[in-house]
Amino acid sequence: MNIRWYHLALWTAFIVGMFFLPQLVSKGTLRTIIFANYLAIFAISWDVLSGRTGYVSFGHPFLIGLGAYTTAILTKRFDVPVEISIPAAVLVTMVGGSLLFLPALRVRGSYFALVTLAFMELMYQLVQVIRPDLTGGTRGMSGIQTLTRGAVNGYYLSFGLIASLGFGMWLLMKTRLGTALSAIGMNEEAVRGSGLNTTKLKLAAFMLSAFVAGLGGAFYVHYLGSIAPRALFDINFVFTIIVAAILGGASTIIGPIFGAFFLTFLLEYLRPYLPGAERYFIYGGIALVLYMFEPKGLHHVLQMALSAIKGKSRS
Amino acid sequence: MLQIIIQGLLLSGLYALIAVGFTLIFSIGRVLNLAYGAYLMIGGYSYFYFSQILGLPKIAGVVIAALIGVVTGLLIYRLVVKTLKGDSVAIEIATLILAVVLQAGVVLLFGDASKILLPIIPGVVRVEGAAVTYNVLVATVASWVILISLYLFVRRTHMGRAMQAVSMDVKGAAISGIDPDRVNMVTWGISGALGAIAGVFFASYTQLYPGMWVSPLIIAVAVVIVGGIGSIIGTLIVAHVIGYMEVIVTSAIAPELRGVVTMLLIIGVLVLRPKGLFGREEL
Amino acid sequence: MSVKKITLAALMGSALAATSAYADIKVGFIGSLSSDTGLSTLRGAEMAIDEINAKGGILGEKVVLVKADTGEDVTEGVKAYEYLAETEEVDFVISGSIDDVSLAWLPRMIEYQIPTLDTWTSYVGIIDMVVEDPDAMAPYFMNIASDEALATLYINFGKDVLKDRMGWDSVVILAEDTAFGGAITGLVTDALAPVADIEVKDIITYDVGTVDFAPLFSKAQASGADFIYQISTVNSQVISSQYVKLQVPLAMTGVNVGAMGMEFWEDTGGAGGGISTLSPVPSVGFDMDPVSADFVKAYQARYTSRPMVPHFNGFNAYHGVKQALAAAEEAGGFGDVKAWSAAMEKQDLTLEKDGKLWLRYAYWGKDEVEPVTQRTYPHNGRFDLEAPYDTAQPSMVVVQWKEDGSVGVVYPFEYANTEYTLPSWVKE
Repeated sequence: MNIRWYHLALWTAFIVGMFFLPQLVSKGTLRTIIFANYLAIFAISWDVLSGRTGYVSFGHPFLIGLGAYTTAILTKRFDVPVEISIPAAVLVTMVGGSLLFLPALRVRGSYFALVTLAFMELMYQLVQVIRPDLTGGTRGMSGIQTLTRGAVNGYYLSFGLIASLGFGMWLLMKTRLGTALSAIGMNEEAVRGSGLNTTKLKLAAFMLSAFVAGLGGAFYVHYLGSIAPRALFDINFVFTIIVAAILGGASTIIGPIFGAFFLTFLLEYLRPYLPGAERYFIYGGIALVLYMFEPKGLHHVLQMALSAIKGKSRS
Repeated sequence: MLQIIIQGLLLSGLYALIAVGFTLIFSIGRVLNLAYGAYLMIGGYSYFYFSQILGLPKIAGVVIAALIGVVTGLLIYRLVVKTLKGDSVAIEIATLILAVVLQAGVVLLFGDASKILLPIIPGVVRVEGAAVTYNVLVATVASWVILISLYLFVRRTHMGRAMQAVSMDVKGAAISGIDPDRVNMVTWGISGALGAIAGVFFASYTQLYPGMWVSPLIIAVAVVIVGGIGSIIGTLIVAHVIGYMEVIVTSAIAPELRGVVTMLLIIGVLVLRPKGLFGREEL
Repeated sequence: MSVKKITLAALMGSALAATSAYADIKVGFIGSLSSDTGLSTLRGAEMAIDEINAKGGILGEKVVLVKADTGEDVTEGVKAYEYLAETEEVDFVISGSIDDVSLAWLPRMIEYQIPTLDTWTSYVGIIDMVVEDPDAMAPYFMNIASDEALATLYINFGKDVLKDRMGWDSVVILAEDTAFGGAITGLVTDALAPVADIEVKDIITYDVGTVDFAPLFSKAQASGADFIYQISTVNSQVISSQYVKLQVPLAMTGVNVGAMGMEFWEDTGGAGGGISTLSPVPSVGFDMDPVSADFVKAYQARYTSRPMVPHFNGFNAYHGVKQALAAAEEAGGFGDVKAWSAAMEKQDLTLEKDGKLWLRYAYWGKDEVEPVTQRTYPHNGRFDLEAPYDTAQPSMVVVQWKEDGSVGVVYPFEYANTEYTLPSWVKE
């Protein structure tokens, strides 16, 4: 374990800072942060799988959607309490994660990316045709039970989620498991050569990713209060998740969180000046340029800047 | 029965045309160009602008669309693919972002409303109860002509052989004096033109709207996955498999399951036969 | 600092000043800023607000409008509503959202209790929510006839025109997806046989991404029905344009959202002849009463980009915003939601044409039972389902685009200015 005191200090500072945030900012800003928090959860889920092991998922909404739809259907159609429906949703998502894992046994790289895309499309089609009385079909579902009322409560719930998931994943990634996963991303054969069971390791990555996605998706739908296939199983949603993870810095925990906040606030702050489609044009353009010229992400830029300052103070 | 054969043939021709430009880049550059669907969008909208709004002759509209496609392809190669130095995952992500940006660009220029293209050649002929529009007939014939000339180009010309060589072994090709960069440029240019032309036909089949790049991309992806790293002939065969499957599902089984069956085929093939039905073949 | 930066800063500063200094009564627009639908509502609202400001505002205060784009995306819809509620803190929301976007932000509206008026969404399920929970839904109004009412009157078109005049006995239904409200598909299929005596031969559902409709049309023809009834809202242009291009030898009518705007002809490059669709009023090709005609004239003088003629929801927004503000004046502002809601329920505007009631902007009472469907429609815009339409306008009209590019109303006869005709390639 490679944990230093300043790591913990930073986590504490982050959690304390976020805890007192509602005293400082407006409710509108809190609402934006809530979306950033959920996006950060999805980005972390994507990163555990794709950022580290190199199995790039273009179909992450498949997992998120499984979690979201499971709990939405259970609570709305069968009046199951959320205490049961959310764990059930996480379980179903993990089963879905193992489905996604099957092709990963045989294909890699671009082919794997494509099969995940196919899973998402399949889910999109199925939700609309199989039992529309349950899923709400193309129209989706509205009036799903929400867990909180008001910006502040919603904020604390989402913050609690991101803080515990983020810190938990961070600890986990500091263990040998995390190191091994990153090693798979660099060279899978070498990891296998060193006597480790890569299949088990990969399965662990898929399960972790599905766990986070399912939990995030379930809480997300109980925050939104509505769900529709068109917005969920959408390549634009994939785009946002991947860009958040990568822009912030893949293979880290703080990176996806940072990226999610950057993207969400960029989009919100453009709103008063460019209310229409121009917003997405500029937003996407910025994401593209940043990605092209700093593929390691903002996290890396920050680190470089920090070490530059350190270097200066030493000399 | 005959009806299904005719309708399947027409749809498959269109699908082959959509997929071939995507296959070309995948087999030569070994990267997935997720902005490929955007070529179709750009092609469709260019044609709409030049021939339907400005009123240029239709053939000029198609040619301009193809040229814009070439320029788009070259720009993406120069600005994105070269900058990322062939890192395939990075290119996939960058082209995905690019596609989303281009979609926003189209909304800016043309708005959200869907538009219908005029048939390239109006009129309809009835064969055994199946209505066949001249427009679709032209698309199918054009698709075959384009595919055959592409095949001949790859087989018979110097440039085509260079492309084959690069698709087999980049380093080996470079040693034998082929400039892979030039070959890639040509490939991306051709792919752009093919995508744009396919876009004109695809849009005249369906409609123009800013999100229209997704479904042809999925079709292209399906063809590539099911066929394996593509040969032109393989693309043609698989496009027919998928096209016929759709027509049969639509007319004989349940129309709403159309998309489901295609996706199941993709996933099934990937799990059972990851290299695709035709595996690794020559271009 | 460059000149650009300074001007940008100045602009931002003035924008901030503008929003904070005069933000007395704030109206928030929610909808897509790049669709004809969204723009119709936005512009209708803009014109209403300007007229009211020119008369000195309401309650001595100026009215300002802020916008939030949804891009027709449900999650963006939730964000947009939150933005209006919590960052802009608007007093009233005017919505040009499509159905699923409205459904997405509705839980937020219930939470914030901000007076909200929908001008496009017609999903009867939302009215059912008003019936079930009138307190939570008090701030919500919908001034377009709900889809159930549209379908009900459409059945009469089937009887009066398709059955009695055209002599058709059977229909094949082409429905875009399996869950289109249940309302229209269900109602039409259930009611066609008993009410209009038209037999439903087959129901064909297809998915939204369908590229090629040729096999579906073949299947429809094979059913042996006399005409096709098409139900679709998304991508409806695809099916209708393929219908025209394939020259399917059966008449096709139904719901075609694309054909509801004047740009339909231009957008289809003329490949839209023969298409007929039901449309909420006032539709394209609808004869205007003097007030509506003036509105269109003023609209065209002011806006030079599409839509050149506002869609029905533009009219709804124009009158609806005026009514909402009048209700606020009565209730002493938007602050007391119950009081505003009660005042809004009482709003009533009747527009006449040649001495006949032509359009009416009013709402159904809480317990008022509509005689044909035998149910209540609280907070839904008033409509009339029976000739001679003397209590309100019909819930819908059927319009048809002719092959020469003209468009007119074919049903109900009281509002018709042209006759329903077959496309030239269909043999009688």
